[in-house]
Amino acid sequence: MKKKNHISTKAGFLFALPAAIYMLVFVGYPMIQNFILSFKNVDVYTFADSTKQTFVGLSNYTELFAGEDAILSTAIINTLIFTVVSIFFQFFIGFGLALLFNKKFKGSAFFRGVTMISWLLPVTVAGLLFKFMFASKGGIINQLFMSLHLIDAPLEWLLEPKLAMAAIVVANIWIGIPFNMMLLITGLTTIPEEIYESSKLDGANKLQTLFQITIPMIRPAIMSVLTLGFIYTFKVFDLVWVMTKGGPINATELVSTYAYKLSFEQFQFSKGAAAANILFLILFVVGIFYIKLINDEEEVM
Amino acid sequence: MKRRMVSTLLCLTMAAGLAAGCSSKDSGNSSGGSSSSGGGESAGGKESVVIWDYFETDAQKNMMQDMIDGFNESQDKYEASHVYVPFADYEKQLTLGMASGELPDLVILDGCGMASFIEMDLFGDVSDANISWDEYMEGPMSSTMADGKHYGIPFATNCTALFYNKDIFDAAQMEYPDENTTWEDFRKMAKALTKDGVTGFGNAATGTDEGTFQCLQWLYTAGGDYQNIGDGVDAYNLMQEMVAEGSWSKDCVNWTLSDANNNFVAGNLAMQQNGPWQIPGIEKDAPDLNYGVTVLPKKDADSGQATSILGGENMGAVKQDDMSGAIAFMEYYDQTDVMVECMKQYGSFPPKTEAAQDSYWTDDPIQKAFIQQLDTSIPRGPSASWPAYSDAIQTGFQEVMTSAKTPDKAATDTQAAVDKVKEGEK
Repeated sequence: MKKKNHISTKAGFLFALPAAIYMLVFVGYPMIQNFILSFKNVDVYTFADSTKQTFVGLSNYTELFAGEDAILSTAIINTLIFTVVSIFFQFFIGFGLALLFNKKFKGSAFFRGVTMISWLLPVTVAGLLFKFMFASKGGIINQLFMSLHLIDAPLEWLLEPKLAMAAIVVANIWIGIPFNMMLLITGLTTIPEEIYESSKLDGANKLQTLFQITIPMIRPAIMSVLTLGFIYTFKVFDLVWVMTKGGPINATELVSTYAYKLSFEQFQFSKGAAAANILFLILFVVGIFYIKLINDEEEVM
Repeated sequence: MKRRMVSTLLCLTMAAGLAAGCSSKDSGNSSGGSSSSGGGESAGGKESVVIWDYFETDAQKNMMQDMIDGFNESQDKYEASHVYVPFADYEKQLTLGMASGELPDLVILDGCGMASFIEMDLFGDVSDANISWDEYMEGPMSSTMADGKHYGIPFATNCTALFYNKDIFDAAQMEYPDENTTWEDFRKMAKALTKDGVTGFGNAATGTDEGTFQCLQWLYTAGGDYQNIGDGVDAYNLMQEMVAEGSWSKDCVNWTLSDANNNFVAGNLAMQQNGPWQIPGIEKDAPDLNYGVTVLPKKDADSGQATSILGGENMGAVKQDDMSGAIAFMEYYDQTDVMVECMKQYGSFPPKTEAAQDSYWTDDPIQKAFIQQLDTSIPRGPSASWPAYSDAIQTGFQEVMTSAKTPDKAATDTQAAVDKVKEGEK
């Protein structure tokens, strides 16, 4: 019995080997390179001549955080605001839609499919559409608000720092809702119909059913949606790049756009790598949390 | 246990997605090499010459094809071809190419980016090529050089000038702007024309070098330059006041050159700042647009013609063991008649002083205005740190246009940012 178990563990490692090799080559190697790069002084002047490249310790990191015109802290705060607000609305709207489309009514499958469009659309295209919609002159959002008398004068959506952040968050919420909805619907379908029937017999009302049965039953799905959502929202790039490029004046600068600007616009490769590593570290912590969560769920099961 | 491990790995991949995406640049061993892709042999036993460009319009693509056909027919040793790389990704692709060695023989790139790539050792010295260096205009030429050596030749040159919609001026019974128009006149015109959904003036002030390209000339015309912001603070005053009056569109902060042009063509702008490459597009999409072009407004009645910023492309020869194909192609393009034909199709001006005097340009009132503006146009930089300068300078313009800072405060802060870049220059 014990021996058999041993063999299956060995076989298990064998099966995981190709994946592990793949990860080492395509994820591990660039990551390590990136870490090394972030401790050097590679920029436009030292790029070509490796003799001029030296290790500078943590100075790239300290400059990013404490330098005179350091905007990394701003970028991290912006990214956090962007992520938390996006996920909050994505989740609640997605959950509402999931509950709705989990009901079998005429056309429910069709409409569920239609809501997926915003997830299927390339993010760049969605970004451009929202850029047009939020235009301060002739943008449909201003026209709508004006005709509803919510505002007297057109708002300068992408020009005022706070409104620009609101605009990219709205665009991101719209894109992310279907992802939340689909994962939650999948969770909902795992709840056996009998449980609802028996709770009905016990006299539970709709709210009680929701809070006592539905939500506890799909807790794993909810936690996955939230952590995965956090990770992919935190590293969003294309949407913001298309809509504001981090502007106006860094109001929507995220860690990802800042890292890109440093590396590929200003050729400050080491600093860009350092900024990307900060992003990685934050997500790594979230990732650990997610793994712990999955394992806890497994133990419960 | 296994599941734990697999899920750990999976999660790492996800989190690493971005970090890995930004990290594929190998730091050390990328210099000099890149000979792997160049000098290959094509089917007919000829050596291939691969050119990268970012040309998007039909006119530009046809120009490129005609030029390549012309070169291929002119000799039987080389066979040229070109590869399109999107402009938004261009400098990133070049950087990645240096790391991976996948590079063409010849690169056509934005003139102001060349200094950075020379510094990064992308281009090889072509000073010995049989090219008539003395015939080129000084500004464009300086952007292809470093330490007195040539790394390529200017390909096209242009600058921005003032477009005005004649119909809008006529309807308001106002005189068109001309070379005597001062900032004061310009401001009055723009203010008077801002009504009925029309804004007086707009340009591209997006937060990238595209914005710097359009905004920097105001600073120079006011008396400043890219290292002396304070001397040009009048430009900041003008911008902030005009934006506050509504006569300089505030949307410019997010506009690219095409955004500005689209708004001008659509009749939303009475005047715009833009370049000659827009002309073929305007002729095609809006043949009835009744417009004129003149030099940019000057500071005041006593000052000379306004400064403009040189734009345009350079050809750079990628450093490799055998650069003869790239040199042969540049020598072909160096012939004045070839250059003139290409630039007629392309919508820019040949970078040779004499070639730009072709009657095709001097007889056309619109083209003539650009030739006149070219006289007082200056290059950006050149500096290998130009991207960092550009970023600092454009942040200043955006702060002024969005009224985030007063002109004086913005000038002080931008000067500090520029000084810091200057310090970092080696």
